[in-house]
Amino acid sequence: MTMTLDTEPRKLSLHEEHLRKGARMGDFGGWLVPLFYTSIMEEHAAVRTKAGLFDISHMGEILVEGPGALDFLEKNLPRRIAPVKQDQAIYMPLVNDQGGMVDDIIVYRRGDDRFMIIVNAGNIEKDFNWFKARAPKHVTVTDLSESMGLLALQGPLAMQILCEGFGAYYRDLKRFHCRSFEEGMIGRTGYTGEDGYEIMVPKTKLKAVWDVIFRVGEKHGLLPIGFGARDTLRLEAAMPLYGHELNDEITPLEADLGWAIDLTKESFPGSDVLKKQKQTGITKKRIGFEMVDRGIPRNGFEVQKNGQGIGTVASGSFIPTTGKNIGMAFVTASEASPGNAIDIMIRGKAVKAVVVSLPFYRRKG
Amino acid sequence: MNFPENLRYTKTHEWIVAQGVKVKVGVTEYAQKEISDVVFVELPKKGLVVQQGKTAAVVESVKAAFDIYAPASGKVTDANTTLEGNPGLVNQSPYGDGWMFELELSNPAELNTLMTAQQYGEFIHQSAKH
Repeated sequence: MTMTLDTEPRKLSLHEEHLRKGARMGDFGGWLVPLFYTSIMEEHAAVRTKAGLFDISHMGEILVEGPGALDFLEKNLPRRIAPVKQDQAIYMPLVNDQGGMVDDIIVYRRGDDRFMIIVNAGNIEKDFNWFKARAPKHVTVTDLSESMGLLALQGPLAMQILCEGFGAYYRDLKRFHCRSFEEGMIGRTGYTGEDGYEIMVPKTKLKAVWDVIFRVGEKHGLLPIGFGARDTLRLEAAMPLYGHELNDEITPLEADLGWAIDLTKESFPGSDVLKKQKQTGITKKRIGFEMVDRGIPRNGFEVQKNGQGIGTVASGSFIPTTGKNIGMAFVTASEASPGNAIDIMIRGKAVKAVVVSLPFYRRKG
Repeated sequence: MNFPENLRYTKTHEWIVAQGVKVKVGVTEYAQKEISDVVFVELPKKGLVVQQGKTAAVVESVKAAFDIYAPASGKVTDANTTLEGNPGLVNQSPYGDGWMFELELSNPAELNTLMTAQQYGEFIHQSAKH
């Protein structure tokens, strides 16, 4: 037995397997995760052209079930839940009373009154408490994050690999739908902008599933993918990352997630604030931008227009497939139109950039 | 890992040619592996006067930016602008085509404060244990 200090990052259940595959490990929100195995460049390209497998077991799973679970979620979530059919999933932010975002989540309906909610690793406790505090007597809220593992198989060849490994049963699974699998489920969801699946199974079965996918996937060019490429892939697809584009102070309207909330609903936490903001208009807005001159934008860099600060970079990176330097930022709403020439302050220098429409990458077909 | 004998090394993983007045500077093989894919290089301008141990250039990977410190004081007499279009040369050839800038040393005695290839090799070996 070894002692683990509180401050040490937690290890994934497949930690040894990642090391065997040559992973360079690093800290991500208190977890020791693979940053890359061979290189971010190669791994990003593999997901865009073939397939990649991610271990995202750091993420949380919260089960909400029991008589009245549907009503409970309907009252507390910002989208309509009743129309979500069994084995269907829906993405949305979790909104606080001030209209800010507690998290962004995917809700999988697994029964009339049974919902599996996938949440961000850094927000597990916060989300669990949020649901628990609001749940009526007969609705139980259970944190399954300790026992459940999660893998993401992503890329144009993901379907072929999954079906070769686990049967053609998952071939016609529609986007944002799921089916039971090995005491867990497989959903056709992801965080890369490609087709793909997320596979939730008990951690005791994670290695077996991982091995099957590699056994059938390697001949198709499947690679293990680290968190470095996960970040460039989601950024290119303009998917927000909690802590960067989303936090407790940013509203869904400001984050360009108006499509993921339903203001025609009578009420949900924060709905008054959001309805009012919708009427009066937002003052800051999430935008995409592309560097015109040389430089890589990073989180926290100031955005300027004619020498005046107009916002802050939320995420930025070099993008492997296009070679472009891009980012997402929050800027004054009046400066958010595509084509607007802006400057990013990089190491004290104003470097030219231009506002572009999102996403940066959209898969064909 | 390869650490050529004709270079001197810093604890921050830069190399500098050990002999001459106008000498080239770059990052070590260890550094390029740690940084991983170099995707951006910001070089000092010709004529810039740099001080030993102060930032002289920036190298960025997909994930992060790394300051490159001047191994010795002097004036920048050349910069490898090929890297601006092909930053991957830092990974492919850290001691050759991946060199970063050339310095005219103002105090060549500073080179004596740097590590030899053997000392740097031991230094890497020691830090890897921690």
